Amino acid sequence: MANQKEVRGRIASIKNINKITRAMEMVAAARLRRSEQRIAALRPYAEGMRKLTRLAAEQAGGLPRVPVLDEHEQLNRVGVVLVTGDRGLAGAFNTNVIREGVRVRDKVSGEGADTTFSVVGRKGVSALTFRKLDVRTSYVGFTDRPAFANAREIGEELTARYVEEDLDRVELVYNRYVSPLTQHVWRQTLLPLQQADVIGEGAADERQGAEPTEAEQAQSRSQWEYEPDPEELLARLIPEYVTISVYRALLESAASELGARMTAMRNAAENAETMMDDLTLEMNRVRQAEITQEILEVVAGAEALG
Amino acid sequence: MVDVEVLTPEGEVFNGEVQQVSTRTEVGEIGILANHAPLLAALRPTELRLHLSSSETVRYAQAHGWLQVFGNRARLLLEEAIAPEDLDAAALKEQLADAEQRLSENEKGSADFARAQKDRDRAEAFLAIAG
Repeated sequence: MANQKEVRGRIASIKNINKITRAMEMVAAARLRRSEQRIAALRPYAEGMRKLTRLAAEQAGGLPRVPVLDEHEQLNRVGVVLVTGDRGLAGAFNTNVIREGVRVRDKVSGEGADTTFSVVGRKGVSALTFRKLDVRTSYVGFTDRPAFANAREIGEELTARYVEEDLDRVELVYNRYVSPLTQHVWRQTLLPLQQADVIGEGAADERQGAEPTEAEQAQSRSQWEYEPDPEELLARLIPEYVTISVYRALLESAASELGARMTAMRNAAENAETMMDDLTLEMNRVRQAEITQEILEVVAGAEALG
Repeated sequence: MVDVEVLTPEGEVFNGEVQQVSTRTEVGEIGILANHAPLLAALRPTELRLHLSSSETVRYAQAHGWLQVFGNRARLLLEEAIAPEDLDAAALKEQLADAEQRLSENEKGSADFARAQKDRDRAEAFLAIAG
């Protein structure tokens, strides 16, 4: 049986683990709130873009043929964008995305095409490099606080490769934030852009506040001014959706990472508490045994003398 | 007075009534007053000026973006809208030099060239505002 000193040492180290994991839980919780706000902050901008595009598309009589909307005839190479985190200790957050990425690759090779990966986050880069998968580009250092400029860099790189037909399809894999307890791995086809992604489905979101109704729009249509003309405006607007989609994925993933870490750290802290209770019990038993042993020795000694 | 909304992907920057909006589209400088005709425009980097009254003006460094004017309401969708005092001139100079180098390295008409051109325009305009 372990002696008192050993057990006391283990209690002390578990107490430290408990403190660290509690602290990490609280840091994650505080930053999670800001992350959630950033997701909410994107919504009005994305909505505004959608309305603008819809207006221009109406005027131009539909979406023009732009390369990002064009489906390629042959499927030779698929780009997969994995959004992971720079750091671990976040439960299954990183593993789930990586597993889905590998699944997509297997499916793509079943269709007879190659896969190249673009990876966001150090964890994804090291996991894929370890598995000797083809990591074409990696983006690290911002996963806990992504900026729009980061999304632009990724989006423009992918768009350029798609337009040059280096890639024939681009899939985006990331953790979608539901709640601190729940994140879903989500897969979305980024390129070619889907018409529905650009204009949106249904007009329910169209009737808010002071927005022009369709009747008003129709009435005033002849009076709209465009700088430059609607076709060119659209040709420039549409590729923006790639960047917005990537940015959204980065934000969702950042919130998911913090949520996952918060939950994982809470579980770890609770485990540490249970272990501390068990060890305290164990220590009391050891101490009692030592006392009993000592008493027995004294009594035995006294008996031997008497 | 005209209702103005300035939105960026990172949140709302300004929302309120102003006398005039001064900005720059692909075509040129533009001023939006009350009851402006409906307009859709692509915006270029410049100093965005929101004239609250004849004496009070709010300024932002505006990156590329979009403008929609309808029914006495102007909505600006900007990649960035930064208060002039928050601009970092040293960082901007670096970005400008970097963009210019990429301009000289890449072929005209390529995606990289267009990207470098965009970055240069932004850095140039922002530097002018940072003074």
